[in-house]
Amino acid sequence: MIRYLLRRMLALVPVALGVATLTFALIHLVPGDPVVAMLGDTAAPADLAGMRHQLGLDRPLAAQYASFITGLAHGDLGESISYHQPVARLIAERFPATLELAGAGLLVAILIAFPLGFIAGAKPGSAGDVGAMGFAVLGISVPHIYLGPLLMILFSLDLRWFPLTGRGGLGHLVLPAVTLGTALAAIIARMLRQSLIGVRASDYMRTALSKGLSPTAALLRHGLRNALTSVITLLGLELGGLLTGALIVEMIFSWPGLGRMLIAAISARDYPLVEGCVLTFALTYVVVNMATDFVYALVDPRVSLK
Amino acid sequence: MRRGRARSSAIAVALCAIVASACARPSQERRPGRIQVDIESSPTSTDPRFATDAISSRVNELVFDSLVKISREGEFVGDLAESIERPDPITLIFRLKHGIRFSDGRALTARDVKFTYDSILAPASMSAKRAGMIELASVSAPDDYTITMTTRHPYAPALEIAMQGIVPDGTPLPAQSAAAGPPGTGPFAMLSYRRDESVTLARNPNRTAAPAAAREILFKVVPDPTVRALELAEGICDLSENNLEATLLPWLAAHKTLEISNTAGTTYKYIEFNFRDPRLRDLRVRRAIAYSIDRTAIVSSMLHGTARIATGMLAPESWAYDGDVANYGYDPAGARRLLDEAGYRADARGMRDLRFEYKTTPEGARLAEVFQAMLKQVGIRLDIRTLEWATYYGDIQRGDFELTSLQWVGIEDPNYYYMVFDSAMTPPHGSTNRGDYSNPEMDALVEAGQRTIDPAARKKIYASVQKLAADDLPYVSLWWVNTVAALNRGVQGFEPYPNGSLRSLAQVTLEAPGGAGPAQ
Repeated sequence: MIRYLLRRMLALVPVALGVATLTFALIHLVPGDPVVAMLGDTAAPADLAGMRHQLGLDRPLAAQYASFITGLAHGDLGESISYHQPVARLIAERFPATLELAGAGLLVAILIAFPLGFIAGAKPGSAGDVGAMGFAVLGISVPHIYLGPLLMILFSLDLRWFPLTGRGGLGHLVLPAVTLGTALAAIIARMLRQSLIGVRASDYMRTALSKGLSPTAALLRHGLRNALTSVITLLGLELGGLLTGALIVEMIFSWPGLGRMLIAAISARDYPLVEGCVLTFALTYVVVNMATDFVYALVDPRVSLK
Repeated sequence: MRRGRARSSAIAVALCAIVASACARPSQERRPGRIQVDIESSPTSTDPRFATDAISSRVNELVFDSLVKISREGEFVGDLAESIERPDPITLIFRLKHGIRFSDGRALTARDVKFTYDSILAPASMSAKRAGMIELASVSAPDDYTITMTTRHPYAPALEIAMQGIVPDGTPLPAQSAAAGPPGTGPFAMLSYRRDESVTLARNPNRTAAPAAAREILFKVVPDPTVRALELAEGICDLSENNLEATLLPWLAAHKTLEISNTAGTTYKYIEFNFRDPRLRDLRVRRAIAYSIDRTAIVSSMLHGTARIATGMLAPESWAYDGDVANYGYDPAGARRLLDEAGYRADARGMRDLRFEYKTTPEGARLAEVFQAMLKQVGIRLDIRTLEWATYYGDIQRGDFELTSLQWVGIEDPNYYYMVFDSAMTPPHGSTNRGDYSNPEMDALVEAGQRTIDPAARKKIYASVQKLAADDLPYVSLWWVNTVAALNRGVQGFEPYPNGSLRSLAQVTLEAPGGAGPAQ
């Protein structure tokens, strides 16, 4: 177990290096100049050149890359060009808000998806199945940019249940989390339905039924756990979508997360900040997938961590 | 089994508790005496020596005073300065008002003013403001209440330099903290600065204010325009200026609690030609394009009347404005005739051998489509290339475009004509004459305008500049964007400025709901 954990942790190093290299290359390849973005179009060419020199942007790209990787190896993500602050501090300020939103979105997705998926999977073809899958199609089809304002009008302006925007108490979290989690709920519900339908035909389910358990109880006690492995795989994979979806939801709900900062950093061509944010997102994705493997082992005794 | 049930019950209770606490609507109620203003992005800096973006300027001008400021009538008037003298063409002498204090209690002296300018001009400052002060040779403080500025040459727009917000002597460089910036002498002090969330201003304790005047201003960052409109409708937000979608204005106007203010503005919207393209060097082609654009239709339908048709860069609010210039009303027949004369004959389908690339950003894509349809009417094909802002801006700065449309914001002095039309300002020497326009007559005029101090003589020069710009057409003047604000009817005393300034927030009062009087 510990050896497995160490091996997976070591695997993070090449992943981080790959992501860092790719991000560095991409952000430097796209046109745009951070110095022009910062000093504006009325800046004198001499000032632009001076600023490039101060920021080290006039050095060869290979030298800039070497500095970046060396800094990274020492845990230094550099200083943001537009905020004049260490990138690590900026990320530390914002990432909890994004994690909070993504976590709440995941929770909402699970809370919606499990009952729906179970109802649909327990009696395929029934009215419940049609209704649940209808919701799933709707959930996948409605984009965040539309669902967010719709929920705001209904639950904030009309019913006055939740605040409209911003980050604060739990109430602030509900609408952004529902906006973010609905599409994922739809995907999980469909996957759970398919898994449960597959499980229903298995021998242990027949045994459970022959012992006198009702179909629902048999599915709850014996079927659901076995159907979960594919859902867990999906959850791990979809977390990336949840994080990228959070970028849009953060904009709609004025949520002060990492996504909004990343968008601003891309616009300003704030190279160190873009690299830091992308690296954070990528590593989060990898760590969550690693955690997914651990959850497998907990849910499915056939899986062992070696 | 029993343990399983107990666990399920515990989970259910926890979920109910979460939902119940979520449903208890947290504090969104109005704080007495506080006005909320929604802004589209966070101010980039709380230090006026570094902030150049419009949002920072709007917030900072409520916190920091400057030697002079621009009045609603577009004139320079004393702010910290009680008198201004110009003994010779390169010298300005400002006498400071006595008894002014920063919000932390320190008294303002000329040393603070000198320090502010010196710290910007220091090469290590990395301040974007340095470029605008390139003509400034020195700032001296002969005594505690006198400031002398000298410029390298006779420089007519020198008073623009005196609009710099003043910080106390010794304020560190650069202001790197995310916390509230340095103290100022303005009507408000910065209480808190939460990047990408909000900026809160509270009354400067060392400035007097009317008892009923708003005590706090909360600038809340709301990036989505629809959400800004929803906040206004909900009554969460009291004021939103120049960041509302025109299509939402009729909906907002239907709310009894809201008032829409649509007043003259000075932001200038234009189409720019790139003279590096030989086809666009032909005046007939440029004029044909100008005649093809139905500006009146765009302003009335697409912009819902939130702009005025422009005759040039200077709006009628400017002292140097001269509207007696060539005008290009919608005339597709005239445009076709000019294109025929230029040798671009129409084929059987009415199209000509003229295809231009028009670069824009996602926000400008709708307008681009309108231009595309209008130019097609006269046989010109427009290929729209939509780019993300930084890429687009980089291309425009390098002169890598054929046609584009941008706007100039905050035109205070006609010296802008020098920046955009003088051949010395072409990349890579300058960066504002992006279309490579070059006309010796224009160069001579705008350079004379920059060096002529006498206002009457200057006005004559800029009348000629405006005529020549309209005849020569390096830009197609589209419109001056109005200052459009949606505000809560309870907000009394708000006066919109043509340049979008929010300075009048210092005087506004907030009536209690129901109009019973000022909130306590």
